[in-house]
Amino acid sequence: MSKESKKSISATLATATCALLGNAITQPVQAQEEPGWDFNTAFLYYGEDADRVQDLSISVLARRTFYDDKFLTLGLTVDSLTGATPNGGIHQSVAQTFTSASGNNVYTAPANTQPLDSEFLDTRVAVSGNWQQPLGRLSQFNVGLSASKEYDYLHLGVNAKLSRDFNQRNTTVSAGLAFSSDTIDAQDGAPMALTSMRDVGDLSNRIGEQDKDVVDFVLGVTQVISKNLLMQLNYSYSDSSGYLNDPYKIVSLVDAVTGDVVPRTPTPGVLGPSHEYVFEGRPDQRTKHSVYGQAKYYMGGKVLDASYRYMTDDWDIDSHTVDLRYRWPMGDSRYLEPHLRFYTQTDASFYQVGVVDGAPLPAFASNDYRLGNFDAITVGLKYGWTTKNSNEMSARLEFYQQSGSIPAEKQFGNQVGQVQYPDLNAIIFQFSYWFGR
Amino acid sequence: MAMKNIVLLALLLAFALLNAGCSSMGVEAWDRDVLAKAEMQLTTDPLEAATDDHIYFSKEASSGGRGFGGGGCGCN
Repeated sequence: MSKESKKSISATLATATCALLGNAITQPVQAQEEPGWDFNTAFLYYGEDADRVQDLSISVLARRTFYDDKFLTLGLTVDSLTGATPNGGIHQSVAQTFTSASGNNVYTAPANTQPLDSEFLDTRVAVSGNWQQPLGRLSQFNVGLSASKEYDYLHLGVNAKLSRDFNQRNTTVSAGLAFSSDTIDAQDGAPMALTSMRDVGDLSNRIGEQDKDVVDFVLGVTQVISKNLLMQLNYSYSDSSGYLNDPYKIVSLVDAVTGDVVPRTPTPGVLGPSHEYVFEGRPDQRTKHSVYGQAKYYMGGKVLDASYRYMTDDWDIDSHTVDLRYRWPMGDSRYLEPHLRFYTQTDASFYQVGVVDGAPLPAFASNDYRLGNFDAITVGLKYGWTTKNSNEMSARLEFYQQSGSIPAEKQFGNQVGQVQYPDLNAIIFQFSYWFGR
Repeated sequence: MAMKNIVLLALLLAFALLNAGCSSMGVEAWDRDVLAKAEMQLTTDPLEAATDDHIYFSKEASSGGRGFGGGGCGCN
């Protein structure tokens, strides 16, 4: 074996087994590469039905390769979001008026519809930087920074990961740590949890800027099982603390007998909500544990990529995710890749349709559909090809569907048969172009 | 709490099995041509993986697993 090919194998294994944990921007590497830049770019359209959220996004990952298996990766993503999102209110047989998120206007949901806040409009810019290098013969070190800014949200994060090969590089053990410090600067200040939605112009329950800190720890083992099979097992711990509410979501105040939202009259001469609503309130701490396993299996040119994740947290949410991809080559330069993903989660302990009028306020309450009990499926197909000058392109089209149910014990009175989980259907289209390699 | 203990136990067991089995698993360096292929890397397309993580983080109560928990947006 030549010296060069030995180096190539060592580079491959070191990077193949290390680009696994932690940072999504870590690039897979096929061999010892010449110094230089390469670029991975993508255009994304994500669109939900019923005039809900639409996202147009462009992303670039630029990677500089240096000698000695050192890499600098820089990322940029710009998202443009528009559309409507469920505000947490429930279906009623009458129209409902809400004070907008800004506190300066009102919007009305027609009778017998899922109340949506149509003011949703945002631009998000995210940047990241990552440095990867070997530490000695068998270890690798990886350090990264991330930041993103939206109109009402700022994220700052740092992460680091160390990995080491064992057993003739057939086993890699990795440990990663990430810390993020986020600031929520909701329009006119975040509302105090479980206080009532006020008339337009009344900002007395706004508490200004809020903070959220997240610490993530990931421990992983990657194992070469055979020359055609590679497996990975990760354990992740995540601790979030601070302001974990969605400042724009509300919970309806409902009549103890009928279950209908309690009507309200705004102050004369002022616009305001037609019914009683309170802003949602979640615990200020959340701990999540996940176990993730992935296998890549090569079958005479075709590759099966299968993964499973189990997550449990102290909000009583448990979830299972199964993800299957099958890469099917068509000649030397083209492939098709069907994708199937199944997801199911249980609802948070404080997920509830409404807060009962006259009863003591619960400590926590949210009717955010993302904390509900639902199943989701993704079905997609990707087509990829290599261009004449050895660049790579791919296009994928996927359908994502969420269907949920509200536990019977969490509904009563007229809510039964009227209040529904806001099912979601979305299309994902992504076009990617890799060049410079 | 019981569930967490089960998860931790399963994890310890998995690590123990991996450690015990590692010495007999794996391949020699000259048998790694398939494992070195781009399509055999655990993350074949980092931008696609990041996009998916972001979408599902925004729409579901779970995140991470493959890597860090994601986030960095006001969407959840």
